[in-house]
Amino acid sequence: MGFVESFKQNFIEEDRWHYLVNGLGTTLLITLFAVLIGMVLGFIIAIIRFTHDKTGKMVIPNIICKVYLTVIRGTPVVVQLLIIYFVIFASVPISKIFVAIIAFGINSGAYVAEIVRSGIASIDDGQFEAGRSLGLNYRQTMTSIILPQAFKNVLPALANECIVLLKETSVSGYIAVQDLTKGGDIIRSQTYSAFMPLISVAIIYLVMVVVLTHFVTKLERRLRQSDRR
Amino acid sequence: MIDVKGLKKTFGENEVLKGIDEHINKGEKVVVIGPSGSGKSTFLRCLNLMEIPTEGTILFEGSDITRADDRELNLMRRKMGMVFQHFNLFPHLTIKKNITLAPVKLGLMTQDEADKKALDLLERVGLPDKADSYPAMLSGGQKQRIAIARSLAMNPDVMLFDEPTSALDPEMVGEVLELMKQLAEDGMTMVVVTHEMGFAREVASRVMFMADGVIMEQNTPKEFFENPQNPRLREFLSKVL
Ligand SMILES: Nc1ncnc2c1ncn2[C@@H]1O[C@H](COP(=O)(O)OP(=O)(O)O)[C@@H](O)[C@H]1O
Ligand SMILES: [Mg+2]
Repeated sequence: MGFVESFKQNFIEEDRWHYLVNGLGTTLLITLFAVLIGMVLGFIIAIIRFTHDKTGKMVIPNIICKVYLTVIRGTPVVVQLLIIYFVIFASVPISKIFVAIIAFGINSGAYVAEIVRSGIASIDDGQFEAGRSLGLNYRQTMTSIILPQAFKNVLPALANECIVLLKETSVSGYIAVQDLTKGGDIIRSQTYSAFMPLISVAIIYLVMVVVLTHFVTKLERRLRQSDRR
Repeated sequence: MIDVKGLKKTFGENEVLKGIDEHINKGEKVVVIGPSGSGKSTFLRCLNLMEIPTEGTILFEGSDITRADDRELNLMRRKMGMVFQHFNLFPHLTIKKNITLAPVKLGLMTQDEADKKALDLLERVGLPDKADSYPAMLSGGQKQRIAIARSLAMNPDVMLFDEPTSALDPEMVGEVLELMKQLAEDGMTMVVVTHEMGFAREVASRVMFMADGVIMEQNTPKEFFENPQNPRLREFLSKVL
């Protein structure tokens, strides 16, 4: 079978291209919301961990965070996804996409937390002292002096985490979410030709990653320039 | 104004301050000198509780700040400016924002009032055209003058200086000392840790020699430099003068 025929069979016939387009939409949707959850979770955890190290307060929240980080980073994301779907939400009628968003968000939060924590740790202690010596309290010093600088320092790393997450969502098919990867696989199972649908899926991921990486590189350069102001 | 009684500070096994009793009056300019590692910074940092004393009390304007809660501490720190060796300007903010951040955040001034005050202060420290610059664009001497302006924006009653010129290239030391001299003439109460003996001689109302975690000797600058008693001080002065 020639290239054109194979293309027709895999994408045109029975509008099979819908599997890819809808799948891509689902992938982007899961990634976007999981990133948001991951950022919020990650920042909260990083701040709790830092506050504990700095002031000795927040003992219990710190222990909870540590357990969370250990468990999430010590187990495969697919296993987490399966547990959240089949165990935690087992008896709850709930959208699979929603479950995927929660699972990847919780997973990403652990990695974001460590990125942000390293960003906070990279800020010179003198910044903290300068804030406190002016009479600002702990919270004011964190929000107006430490976190803005830390955020700027880790922005490229956070953007990279988004790229990683985009690829990781490809295991959503394990709970029968029809994301991009699953879409390609469905076409494969219908047409019995693997090459065209799977390579297409790979190319779509690759293009997204290359484009995003390009933006991250640009961002890094911009940030370096603003440091030299 | 500041009353220190039996101040001790220990880091782990290391007893850095071994019992300091000192009184600093309003309007005094106290200069602290001494060898590196003798506890000068620790002493200064205890005064605004950047370090928590292990023992002893510190009275500031009548109240014991070693017993203050967080809220009281923050109120006290507004009245004590601190200038650091490495300036510690906020690199992500413009010079004007560096100066106005605290007064505005703490609700002491509106942004407009603070901006106006910042421009006055920039005038006073001789950098009126730097309002919209970022710290990274300034020289070391300029950074330190801005750091002083930032402290002054809080209208402090006392200013603490921890080796404010030690990180500067030699040609920039003068401009910072000149500004500090002006402050002294305007009546600011100052506690200054420095190695600038000329400044101590000229500006101090009292010079202290700190070694091994105690204040070994103190006197008016004239007596202190012309007639040192303690052999350790004599040895130290012979090295630095
Ligand atoms: N945060 C700290 N933790 C442990 N040791 C410290 C700390 N700060 C200062 N020290 C120790 O206290 C001693 C006095 O330090 P410091 O007050 O900075 O001296 P100086 O300012 O006179 O050079 C030094 O031995 C230093 O290592
Ligand atoms: Mg020191």
